[in-house]
Order: sequence, then C-alpha cells, then structure tokens
Amino acid sequence: MKRELTLTHEPIAESAPQMSKDMGAVVTFHGVVRGTEEGKEITAIDYEANEEMAQHQFDLIFNAIEERWPVGSIRLVHRLGVVPAKEAALRMEIMAPHRTEAFEACQFLINEMKTKVPIWKRPQ
Amino acid sequence: MKVKVKFWSYYRDHTGCEKTTAEINEGATISNLVAMLHEQFPKLAGTEKCTLKAVGVEYQDDDYVLNDGDEVSLFPPVQGG
Repeated sequence: MKRELTLTHEPIAESAPQMSKDMGAVVTFHGVVRGTEEGKEITAIDYEANEEMAQHQFDLIFNAIEERWPVGSIRLVHRLGVVPAKEAALRMEIMAPHRTEAFEACQFLINEMKTKVPIWKRPQ
Repeated sequence: MKVKVKFWSYYRDHTGCEKTTAEINEGATISNLVAMLHEQFPKLAGTEKCTLKAVGVEYQDDDYVLNDGDEVSLFPPVQGG
C-alpha cells in the first residue's frame, strides 16, 4: 500500500488523485476549523503535535488499515500551528477498489487518529 | 536511575516547564513516576484519570517498569483533526 503522510505548518494544497487501474473509489475528507468552539466564537485553532510519536502512531493506524481493507493508497496531511477558521486542518484521501472499503477505512482512520495520535488544539 | 519527562499541551501550563529529569529507584513504574511528579507539580493532580503516557513513541500502561534514560511523555487526551 502506498503511503504519504505530511505534518505541515503550511496551508493544505489541493491535488488531483492519480488513480491506478484497479482502484475504483477515492474518498477524500477535509476537516475544517469551525468559527465556534463550545458555543464561543473563535478565529483559529493552534495545533501542536508530538511529531515523532504522531508519525509512528499514524504508521500503526496505516498498518491496521492495510491488514483490514484492500486499500491502494492513503494520503494524509495534518496542519500544525495556527489554522484560521474556515481553513482545512486535515485532508485525507483513501483509494480502494470499491467504495465500501474506502469509506470504512476513512472512518476508521479518523476515529483512530482522534484517540491515538498525539495532536492537541488550543482555540484562539 | 534517571528518566527524562516531557509535558505536552496544557500540561506545560500546569508544570511551568516543557521537560524535567526525575531520579527514580530501580524497578519503578510509570505509576510511581507520576505520583512523584504530582508532588513536584501539584497542579497536575486531578489529571490522573485522563493522562496518557508514552515511553519514546509507544503508549505504555501505568505498570510499565522504567529503564535508565527512558524518555517519558505525559499528555492530555489527543484532539487531532
């Protein structure tokens, strides 16, 4: 399975998926900073990561996905530092032969990330 | 023996520092270390139930036996995405 993981302090750039002949589904998810947090208006979220551990924990999640679904590729970008409201903090793209495994793997990746990858946020 | 301890996210606010070095006894566990740190940094008290612990890049349980030179990270629940 092809992997691409980026933890970046820069805005997330869009790029078109490059499909291979066996892949029939691509699920793309953007996590966007809302303008409110627990009912209060915010202008941004400051993301902090334990980067070395985050890389490792993402790798473990990618391994688990590879064992469960016939996923062809995962591309994931998570922004770090201050991300203004309405901008994407997270972009993930999963390719698989069929939509079911692509959606399931995407949901699994998000859920696992939210419990295991050491990234924290401070609303501003 | 000595271990390095790193504090992440708002735990740094509780301790007033990013890292510290702790002197522990042979056979000490993460649980023993955390109890020591709660005495040293009283504002950490009350975080016991939600604190996540790692040694290097791996999560570890409270009964993990520490080794000389280990780098321990303590942090609150993660919030990526």
